[in-house]
Amino acid sequence: MTTSSKMQSRMKLNRPSVRHKARPPKQRTPIGEAFTAANLPCALSLQHCADCGAAQYPPRELCHACLGDLVWRETAGNGVISSRVDLHHSLWEFFKRHTAQQPWPIASIALDCGPTVLAHLDLTSFGADSADAVTAGTAVQVFSHSDCSQQVVLIAVSAHEAIGTADQRREITARLGLLEPALKPGGI
Amino acid sequence: MKSYEGVALLAPVSFGYARQSPHTAPWFIGKTLKLMLQQSGISKDEIDGFAVSSFSLGADSVITLTQHYQISPRWIEQLPYGGASGVMALRRAARAIQAGDASVIACIGGDGAAHRSFERTAGEFSSFTIDSSFPYGAGGPNAAFAMITRNYMERYGATREDFARIAVDQRYNANHYSPALLGHKTLSVEQYLAARPIAGPVHLFDCVMPCAGGEGFLVMDEERARSTGLPYCLISAADELHNAHRDDPVQERGGWTTYANDMYQRAGLGPDDINLVQTYDDYPVISMMQLEDLGFCAKGEGQAFVQATDMRFDGSGPQPNKLPHNTNGGQLSVGQAGAAAGYLGVTESLRQLTGTAGDNQVAKARHAMVSGFGMVNYDRGLCSAAAILSGAGS
Repeated sequence: MTTSSKMQSRMKLNRPSVRHKARPPKQRTPIGEAFTAANLPCALSLQHCADCGAAQYPPRELCHACLGDLVWRETAGNGVISSRVDLHHSLWEFFKRHTAQQPWPIASIALDCGPTVLAHLDLTSFGADSADAVTAGTAVQVFSHSDCSQQVVLIAVSAHEAIGTADQRREITARLGLLEPALKPGGI
Repeated sequence: MKSYEGVALLAPVSFGYARQSPHTAPWFIGKTLKLMLQQSGISKDEIDGFAVSSFSLGADSVITLTQHYQISPRWIEQLPYGGASGVMALRRAARAIQAGDASVIACIGGDGAAHRSFERTAGEFSSFTIDSSFPYGAGGPNAAFAMITRNYMERYGATREDFARIAVDQRYNANHYSPALLGHKTLSVEQYLAARPIAGPVHLFDCVMPCAGGEGFLVMDEERARSTGLPYCLISAADELHNAHRDDPVQERGGWTTYANDMYQRAGLGPDDINLVQTYDDYPVISMMQLEDLGFCAKGEGQAFVQATDMRFDGSGPQPNKLPHNTNGGQLSVGQAGAAAGYLGVTESLRQLTGTAGDNQVAKARHAMVSGFGMVNYDRGLCSAAAILSGAGS
């Protein structure tokens, strides 16, 4: 095998579509990594301004309101649905494999503390069968949990769902399929 | 705001549209430049201003391109602002001409389309994208616009049938514009409605097809423009505002609402005087929003407007009102050539206003509204820009 064809076969193996296990995107910026680190020990931690106290999201370097410096602080994740959709298509192999089975619901949520966050939407907690069934204005709670790429993502559940313990949050994350890689479908 | 008097736009070029290409952005930008020079009879050495927009230059930039093409401009500008790039480039170039900073400026948007390059652009678009939208499965901007579309439908009662009006009339226009990558196919309302779902209410024909291509035009003073013997256009008014209405929980409007009236006033024109409109149609809902925000109808009346308005270039539709819209098919039917797509409305307007459009020529096109929108950083498009262009004889 020549060097260039070896390289080609390596690149081919690296393509997510031929990988046996596909995981959610792992790439983050340094501040995205800090978001993961801050959220591992608690249910939800967001940056807050050390000067004016404003909560922030997406993670950033400076306060959006006064350009003050930011600190991570545990936060209640109460909010309401602004908009929500079922994804039927994705550019990322993990989601491609999931949406091939059933749509993947996500939502944008206006948190009571200020920011708008994008989150995976747990339909089970609403007794809903599609994202559209969870109407705009519905009260939700948002918490963070690590996925199988060892990065923290946000998850939105009904305001009535119990999320007080780590076990409860882990169970919800598990039923969304985020704790296991998506396996390559069988067949030829 | 000072007027754009004395500044001419000419030599529009659209080049090389292809779904995939082995060539990179510098090829599309350079070939577009060559065609602009051929069309105008201006030599490469006379180009002393160079504005470039691209998402796929990689390690290159407008300055490294000057050595690639061996030009020596005394004014350069790089505007990687997606759908607003074209209008933003023409505004900056026009001011440079008025100030005497340059005398002949080439404004070019160009992007390649290597295999799977769109994935990379989408996944690494910005810090907010990397950390807070791509990990949730968003396939590029589809998810953000699906949320915007869903919210708009619920708030104002728009339906998929309304969005179909925009896509279907644009396809008709593309059927008369040979470079359009989807121009060889017709599109009916039934086909539009039956398309496979992508995200929420967004289905296949609501999405643009990423592709390669180049778009460009020249900017110079009127006297110089006359010496080329080519027909040219003038800027009757132009403006921009970015990250406007930033506290709206979901995007329902863009910066246009803040300056559209002023633009009409400066141009001495009203919406009724506009003969054709080029909106930035990354999704039909965004075109509808621009028609509202640019004063063609009130907020929330976009769906009634598109149902009552024939948007074909030739006015052959059955609707009573006529307003040619995205007269070459827009990105939805031509393809989205990266940042070049932000120039598409400008080059198409220049062809229409100079009577050089060809098969899709709008009759008596004197004034065009061209609008830009772009850069979905997280949950909304940040850029807004618009210009009223007029044929030099009008």
